[in-house]
Amino acid sequence: MKSGTSIGQKKQDTKLGGKMRQIAIYGKGGIGKSTVSSNLCMALRKRGLRVMQVGCDPKRDSTRILTGGRLIPTVLETYRENLRKGRDEYAITLREIVYEGSNGVYCVESGGPEPGIGCAGRGVLTAIRILRNLGAFKTYNLDVVIYDVLGDVVCGGFAQPIRQGFAKEIYLLCSGAFMSIYAANNIAKGIRRLTQRGNTGLGGVICNSAGDQELETRVLTDFASRLGTKLIQFIPRSPVIQVCEVENKTVLEHSPDSIEAKAFQELAKNILNNDAPIIPNPIENLVELESMYRNHIMNRTNKTN
Amino acid sequence: MMIKVMKETPLIVAEDKCHDPYLRCAFYGAAQTVMGVSGSCTLAHSPQGCYLLAERAFEWQNEDYTKTEILCTKLCEDEIVFGGENILTRTILDASSLKNPIMFVLSACGPEIVGDNISAVCENVSDKVHFRLLPIECAGFRGTQYDGIDIALDSILKNFALDKSKKRINSVCIIAPHANANPTWMADLTWVKNVLFEIGVDVITTLTHRTSLNEIADISAAEKSIVLSHDAGQKAATYLAKEFDVEQICHNVPLPIGLTNTRRWLTELGKTFNARHVVENLIPKGENMVVDQCRRKWIELYSISRLSTAIVADATVGIPLVRFITEDLELIPELVYLRSSKNVAGAIIENELQQLDLKPKVVYHTDVYQTRKSLVEIEPNIVIGSNIEKHAIEGLNTHYIFQLISPIQRFRMINREYFGYTGILNLLESIQNEVWDKYRSKETRYKARW
Repeated sequence: MKSGTSIGQKKQDTKLGGKMRQIAIYGKGGIGKSTVSSNLCMALRKRGLRVMQVGCDPKRDSTRILTGGRLIPTVLETYRENLRKGRDEYAITLREIVYEGSNGVYCVESGGPEPGIGCAGRGVLTAIRILRNLGAFKTYNLDVVIYDVLGDVVCGGFAQPIRQGFAKEIYLLCSGAFMSIYAANNIAKGIRRLTQRGNTGLGGVICNSAGDQELETRVLTDFASRLGTKLIQFIPRSPVIQVCEVENKTVLEHSPDSIEAKAFQELAKNILNNDAPIIPNPIENLVELESMYRNHIMNRTNKTN
Repeated sequence: MMIKVMKETPLIVAEDKCHDPYLRCAFYGAAQTVMGVSGSCTLAHSPQGCYLLAERAFEWQNEDYTKTEILCTKLCEDEIVFGGENILTRTILDASSLKNPIMFVLSACGPEIVGDNISAVCENVSDKVHFRLLPIECAGFRGTQYDGIDIALDSILKNFALDKSKKRINSVCIIAPHANANPTWMADLTWVKNVLFEIGVDVITTLTHRTSLNEIADISAAEKSIVLSHDAGQKAATYLAKEFDVEQICHNVPLPIGLTNTRRWLTELGKTFNARHVVENLIPKGENMVVDQCRRKWIELYSISRLSTAIVADATVGIPLVRFITEDLELIPELVYLRSSKNVAGAIIENELQQLDLKPKVVYHTDVYQTRKSLVEIEPNIVIGSNIEKHAIEGLNTHYIFQLISPIQRFRMINREYFGYTGILNLLESIQNEVWDKYRSKETRYKARW
C-alpha cells in the first residue's frame, strides 16, 4: 500500500504480550518532536511492532514525513464535516481518520481550530476521545501509540493525553540549550501534577542535539538525574536528518545505515526496555536551574583553558 | 506498569478556603440589567445552562414576556473547539425578523475563553438586521452579579447615552434599582419615584427597569443622579458625572430604610432640589403614620428587645438595617455580614457604626460558609437574612430568623417596599409574623400550610 493512503481494519497479534505502550513526547516548540516521533515510530515498526503516531497539534504536520509529505485529513476536520451534514461523531469511521504511512505506520492527526479562535486543547481531547470511542487501538491491535504533543504544556487542554490516561509514559525532548531545559523542567512540573493522580509517569529525557555533544550529554544527564530519571538517548545533530526532512522520509528509510538511523534504533530499544516511569521532581527554582547549567559551562571552559 | 517514586514529592494541598457564594456571576448581573430595557431582545452567547440565568434575570426584572425575547446560541463542544462566531452570526441573522428595537448579545465564560469576538460579529451583521446590536462581554468569571451590572451599565451608557447640552431643571436619573436584595425591589423604586414626583423632580431615566432606548439617550439631560444600591451602579454614576456633568446625590448616606435613614435621605433630597417645605411635610406625616399604625395594631416586639442580632444581607439593605434595628427596634447588632465589598459601602457603614457607637463584627463579601462559621461561633439570638440563613442556623441556639433578604421562603403577591415609611411597616410586619411563627412548632407550621 502506498504511503499516505487510508487503510481498512486489520487484526494481528501484538508483539508486546498484549500490553500496548502509550507514549507521549513533550518538549519546547521547534525542538524536533515530530521528527523524533516519526523516526521512533519507524524504528519501532522495523522491529516488527504495530505502531500508531497521533499528532496532537492543530498544525497537523506531525506525521508529514511518514506520509511522504502529505498532510492527511484530521480527526476534527472529519468530525466537523460530519456535523455540517447533520451527523454526529459516531458517523465517523476509522477509515476516514487513520492513514497508513510508510512501512505500515498508522498515522492520525487530531487537527484543531483555525489560529486565533476556538480551543485547540479541547480539540485534541475531542480527537483522542473519538479515537478511543471508535476503538482504534484495539481494532489495529497496536503495540505502541506515540502522541506527538504540541509545544509546551501551554494549557490544561494539551495535558489531556496524560490527564485522560491515554499516555502512560512521557518523554521530554530537549537540546543542550538552556531555554529548552527550562521548558522541559516546566513540563516536568505539569507531569508531576498529573502523574500524582494516575498511572502515568516520566520515562526519561531524550536529547536532540544542537551540536555541542559533550556539554549536552553532561548537562542533560545531570538534569535527568535531578528529575529522578535518566538520559534515554542522544540524537546527534546531523545534516542527514535535515535532508530526510526535506525528502519527506524518515532517516531509517532514507539512510538506513547512517549513525543517525542507529541512534533512532537505539532509542526505540531503550524505550522498549524502559519499564520504570517515575513521578518527576522538577527543579523548583530558576536560580538552581541556572546554577546547574552555569556549572557545566564553567567546567567545560576551565577544561578548554 | 509500576510507577516508582524516586524522591518524596510534596503533596498538593488546597490552600483555598471552601467557597459557597451567595451571589451569582457577572453574566447574571448583566442579564438583569439588559432585561430592564423595554422591548429588548437578549441573546445569550452561551451553553444552555447560562440561558437559565438569563431567564432568572427576566423574572427579576418582572418584564413583559410578550415584548421581551431571550435567545441562546446553545453552544456545544464543537463551538468550544472551533469557536462560536459562526453560530452567533447565524443566530442573529435567524432573529432578523424580530420587531425588537435592540438586541443585547451577552457572552458567557466558554466563548470568552476560546476567544470569540462578539463585537466583530455584531459589527459584521449590523447592516443585515433592522435592530441595534450591543455586544456585552460579561463572562461569569469577570466577577459577581454586581460586577455584571456595572459592566452592562457601562456598555449601555457608552453606546446609547447622547450628549445633551441642555439640562432639564429639577431632573434626575435613577441608577441600579435592581441591585437590591429586597425580593420585591420594584416597590422601593416606586416609592422613590413617588417621593420625587411629590417634590417636583422629573425622573428622566431609570437604569434599568422598563427603560426605553430614548430615555437612555436622554440621560445626560438629567441634573442629578441617584444610585439606589450600595452594591452596584457607582461606576455608572461616576461616568455620568465625568462625561455629562450629572451630579450624584445622596451618595454618602444609607438608603432610606428606617425612621432616621428616611429622614436624612429625604432631607438631602429637599436640600438638593430646593424643596425643603415639601420634605418637611412628608417627614412628620410619614413618621406619624408609622407610630399610629404601630399603636393601632398592637405590635408586640418588646419580647425581642436588646437581643443580639446578626445581619446577613446585601449592602443595599444591610447597611441601612444597622441603624433601623438599633434605633427603631432596640436590637444589638453583633454581626454584619455583607454579600458585596464596594469601597463606598464600606465608608458608609464605618461612618454609621461610629455614629451609633457600635462595634459589631463586619465582614464584606461573605459567603455561606463564612456566615455559618460565624453564626456557630457567636450564636446570636436573632438573624436577619434570607432563607439560606434559616437553614444555616439549624441546630444553633438562635431564637429568631427574620427572612427579609432574597431568597425568602414567603409568597408575596404584592410588591412591598423597604424604603420609606410604608417600608418600615412592611419590615415590622414581616418581623412580627416571624416572631409569632416562633411559637408554633415546625409540625404545626407545616400542617397550617398544607
